Amino acid sequence: MIRTGLWILGGLVLGGIIHIVVILMLPALSATAAWDRVSAMSTPGSTQVLPAVTADQPNPLRLDPELAYAVCRLDLGKGPGTVAGTLPQSFWSVAVYGRNGTVIYSTTNRDSTSNLLDLGLFNAAQTRLLAEQKLDVAEGLLIVEAQQDELLVVVRLAPPHPAMRARYEKALSALRCGNIAT
Amino acid sequence: MIVVALGTGFGLSWYALNDGRLFGAIEIGPWQSWRDVGVPGPDPYTRAYIARSGALELGASEGLQFVATYDSDNRRLDRNCRYRIDGSTPPARFWTLVPVAESGSPISRPGGPLDFQSARLSRAPDGSVELYVSKTLAPQNWLEITGDGTFNLVLTLYDTSSLSGGGANVTTLPSIIREACA
Repeated sequence: MIRTGLWILGGLVLGGIIHIVVILMLPALSATAAWDRVSAMSTPGSTQVLPAVTADQPNPLRLDPELAYAVCRLDLGKGPGTVAGTLPQSFWSVAVYGRNGTVIYSTTNRDSTSNLLDLGLFNAAQTRLLAEQKLDVAEGLLIVEAQQDELLVVVRLAPPHPAMRARYEKALSALRCGNIAT
Repeated sequence: MIVVALGTGFGLSWYALNDGRLFGAIEIGPWQSWRDVGVPGPDPYTRAYIARSGALELGASEGLQFVATYDSDNRRLDRNCRYRIDGSTPPARFWTLVPVAESGSPISRPGGPLDFQSARLSRAPDGSVELYVSKTLAPQNWLEITGDGTFNLVLTLYDTSSLSGGGANVTTLPSIIREACA
C-alpha cells in the first residue's frame, strides 16, 4: 500500500518536472509561428498591409476584422530602425514584437497631439551611442530600445467605417519603414 | 509511475495553456483573458501560451482581448442558438466583438458585417446596448452567423485601462445569455 503510494508520488513529482520542462521548452520549439507567418508575407525594410480578414478565410494571426494592419520587419544590425508617416485622424496603435512573439513596446495615439508617427528603434549599442550623442537623429523621434536586432513593427489603424477601409489602408502603406542612415 | 508522470506532466501543461485559469489567465464572468500577454517580460506560462497560439497579440498599452467559449450559464457556445449579449463594458476608446470559429476566422454571413463595433450600435437612451448573435433574425443589434458547431466570442477593448485600476469585476463585462436553440 505504502509502496503504491510512493510510486504514485514519484509519478506526480516526475509529472511536475515534465510539466515545467514542457512549459519552458515550448517557446523555444514553436515560438516563431507569428513571426514566420508575417515574414512569409513581407520583405524586410518595407511596409506591407496585411489582407483584410474575411469570413471563412483562415485567420491564424487572430486579426481583428475591424482594423487595418501594416507590418514592417527591421534588422537593427544594419542600423537603427524607423517607422514614420502620417496617419488619418482615428485610433491607431503601434506594437514592436521580438522574434518570439512577445511585445517589446506598444503605444497608441491617445497621447499624441498630431497624426504623425515617428518611431525610432535602437539596440543596446545604438542606445549607448545615442546617449553619448554620437548618433544624429531628428528631434521628436519616439525612441524605443530593444534588446534584440530582429524586430517586427505592427501598426493597427481603425477605420471608422468599413467603407473607408481602402483609404485607410493606403495611408498605412505609405508609412516609411527602414534603417536610419548613420 | 510512468503513466502517472506522463499524464500529470502533459495533462497539466495542456490544461495550463488551454484553460489557464490557475496560470495567469483572468476570468470575468464568461470572459477570459491572458492579462500579461502584451507586456515585455511575460511569465513562462504566458510565454508558452503566446508561442502556442501564434497570434499577433495586442500590446499592453494598445488594449485587452477577452475570449468567451461558454455562455454565462457555462454551456458551450453553439451556432444553432440565439445569444443575447447584454451589459456594460469597461471604459475604452472603442471595442469590437467578433464571433469566430476555433480557427479564428469570422463566422458571420459572407458579405455582411463581420463584427460589432461599439461606435456603430443602436443604443438605449441610457447608453446600454443589447447585442444578438444568431442564425435567425433578431431585434436590435443583430449579427448573422452561419455554419454549425461551436464558436467563440472575441471581445477586444482598445485603449483601455480597465485592469490597471483594480476595478475589474463581473459586472464590468457583458453577460452572454442563451435564448433559444434551433
